Amino acid sequence: MDRRAFLTAAAAAGLAQVVTPEQAFARAAASQPAWSLAVGDVMGDIPRQSLRRIHGKPPAGLAGTLYRNGPARFRRPGGDATHWFDGDGLVRAFRIGPDDASLEAKFVDTFKRRQDAAARAVITPGFGTLGSDRAVIGSADDTNAANTALLPIGGELLALWEAGSPYSVDPATLETRGLKTFSPELAHMPFLAHPRIEPGGRVWNLGLAGRRAIVWTLAPSGAVERTTLVDLPRASFIHDFTATDRHLVIVLQPLIQDRMVLPFVDAFSWRPEEGTQVLVLDKDDLSRRRLYDLPAFFFFHLGDAWAEADGTVRFDACLDSTPDFAVHGARDILTGKPAPNGVSLAMVALHPDGRAELNRTPLTAEFPRADPRRAGLSRSKTIINSVRTQGRPLLRGVGVSDWRTGKADLFDYGPDHCAEELLFVPRPGDGNELGGWLVGTSLNLKARATELHVFDAAHVSDGPLCSWRAEVGLPVGFHGAWVGG
Amino acid sequence: MFDHTFKTAAVFASLGLVIAVVNARPAPAQEAGAVTVTFSGITRPTGALMVGVYDSEAAFAGGKPVEGFRLTVDGPQANQVITGLKPGSYAIKVFHDVDGDGRMNTNGFGIPTEPYAASNNAPSRMGPPSWADARFEVTAEGAAQTITID
Ligand SMILES: [Fe+2]
Repeated sequence: MDRRAFLTAAAAAGLAQVVTPEQAFARAAASQPAWSLAVGDVMGDIPRQSLRRIHGKPPAGLAGTLYRNGPARFRRPGGDATHWFDGDGLVRAFRIGPDDASLEAKFVDTFKRRQDAAARAVITPGFGTLGSDRAVIGSADDTNAANTALLPIGGELLALWEAGSPYSVDPATLETRGLKTFSPELAHMPFLAHPRIEPGGRVWNLGLAGRRAIVWTLAPSGAVERTTLVDLPRASFIHDFTATDRHLVIVLQPLIQDRMVLPFVDAFSWRPEEGTQVLVLDKDDLSRRRLYDLPAFFFFHLGDAWAEADGTVRFDACLDSTPDFAVHGARDILTGKPAPNGVSLAMVALHPDGRAELNRTPLTAEFPRADPRRAGLSRSKTIINSVRTQGRPLLRGVGVSDWRTGKADLFDYGPDHCAEELLFVPRPGDGNELGGWLVGTSLNLKARATELHVFDAAHVSDGPLCSWRAEVGLPVGFHGAWVGG
Repeated sequence: MFDHTFKTAAVFASLGLVIAVVNARPAPAQEAGAVTVTFSGITRPTGALMVGVYDSEAAFAGGKPVEGFRLTVDGPQANQVITGLKPGSYAIKVFHDVDGDGRMNTNGFGIPTEPYAASNNAPSRMGPPSWADARFEVTAEGAAQTITID
C-alpha cells in the first residue's frame, strides 16, 4: 500500500469510528439487559427520602427499621471491580413508622473505598477483583468492602464482610465509626457475614484462614465472651455456617483453597470427587467434634439447624451443583452477561449413627431465613427468595417453604422485579412460628425504583399487605437485619 | 486472606530480636552526615519504637540491621539522630511495641496488631514495604526522614 492509499484507508476507518458520546451511551445502554440496574453504580450517599405508598396499608403494630447492606459502587474511571462481591458496601435504612416510611443510605467509609476513590480506579484487590500493585495493603482489612450483611448489637450496627473485621456504623445516622476491634489481640481477625444468633441474643460466628478458624462468641451486649481457634479438616470456601442450640455445624464444600494467588476466589479448586464434609462441634466444648460425609455440592447459604431428641441434626441449605456462579457468574453479571445458577432448597439430616442424608428439592431458593425466636430449635418454615426467569441471574419472587407439609407459599413479583432477602418481624403477642410479617425489598426494573414490601407471613401468595416505592433504584443487595421500635 | 501479611509479621518480628544484639561498630573511615529521623502520628503513647537501619535489600528483607534503637514512647512523636553511617543507601523499619513486651504482636492468624512503618513511609502493597520504596541516600550532608506510624 502506498502512502496515500494508506492515509485514505486510515481516514475512512477513523470516520467509521467517530461516535458521539450520546451514541456511545445509547449503544452501551442498548447492549445492557434491563436487569443490569441490579448491579449498577450509586454515585453517592442517599439523603433520607419519604417512600411513596403504592399499595395497601401497613399493618398496625409494625414499626422499626429494615437495615440492608450490599455492594453499590463497582466502576471508576480508571478501572472497575470485576466481581459482584467487590463493590463498596452501601448501608440502607428503610424506616417504617405508623404513618410513613423512608429510605436513607450511606456508603461504609472503608479504607478500600477511600483508596479506590483517591486512585479514581478500583485498585484494591478483592474476592474476585485482581486490583493493582499500586494498592496499599497492610492487612486484609485494607481490602474490606464491608458490603455483605449487618449485625445490630450493643448500640452499633456492624457492617460485615467475610475476610476481615466488621466496620462499626451508627444506626441512627449511618455514619461510619471505624473498623471494629473487639480487643487489641483480635485486631483484623476475620468475622464472617453470617453470625448465628441464639434466641437469647448470644452470637456465634466464625472467621477463616485456610484450615484454621476462629470461633467467636459474643454476649448479647456485643462484648466478646470467648474466642477459640480450631483446626478444620480442609481449607474449604466458607461463606456461612449454621448452629443448633448445642452445636456449630460447619459445612465444608469441596471448593478448596490450595494456592496463594489473587484474587481470593482464584485460590480455590473445585474437587467434587472429594465430596462435602460436615463438621459438628459442641458449643460447650469445641474440641468435641464429629465429621459427616455428603455428596459434593456448592452453597453460599444454610438455614438455621436444630437437634432432635435422638441426636439427629437437621438444617436446610440452598445448593447449586457447581461453584460456577461464585467464580464466573458473579463476574459476568457486572458486564450484563447472563449468569445462570441452579440454586435450590435441600434438607440435610446428620444421624446419630454417623450417616448423613441429603434430600434435594426442585424448589428454587436463595437467602434462606427463619423465625429468629426459634434459631437453633425445631422449626418447619424457611423464608426464601424464589422464582427464576431463564437467562437472568437474579430471582423475582419470595415465599415460605414448609418442611412438614412439603408446600411452598410463593409470591411472584413479576418479570420486572429482582427480589431481595425477606426478614421475619413478629406480630406483637403472637408466639407461633412465623406469626407475623415478612419485610423485604425488590428492585422494580421498569420503574427503576427500589420497593419495600410487607407480607403476612402466613399468606405470602396473597401478595404484599403494603408496598412503598423509593425515588431511586438501588442495586440489589445481600443481607439485612430488622430492628423493631 | 492474603498470605503476605504473615510475611510482613515475620519481617518485622525479626526487629525485636536483632535490635538487642547490634553492637557498637568501629567508626568508618569516611562518615556521612547525621540522619535525623522523626516518628510522628503516634496515637498510643506507651511502650517503645523498635527501629532498625539497613544497608542492603537482603538485610532489609529479614537480615541484620547496621543500627538498631529502642525509643521509649511518651507522646505523639519520637526523634532519633543517627550518626556514624557510611555514605550510601539505607532503609529503616520500625514497629511500635505498644505493650512494651519486646515483640511485634500478631493476632491468632499471624496478622500484625501493632503498628509498623518504613522509611519514605513506604507502603505495604502486595507484601511488606519494599527496599525500592524505602531506600534513601545518606550523603556527607546526612539525611532527614519523617516516618508516620500508627
Ligand atoms: Fe451471604
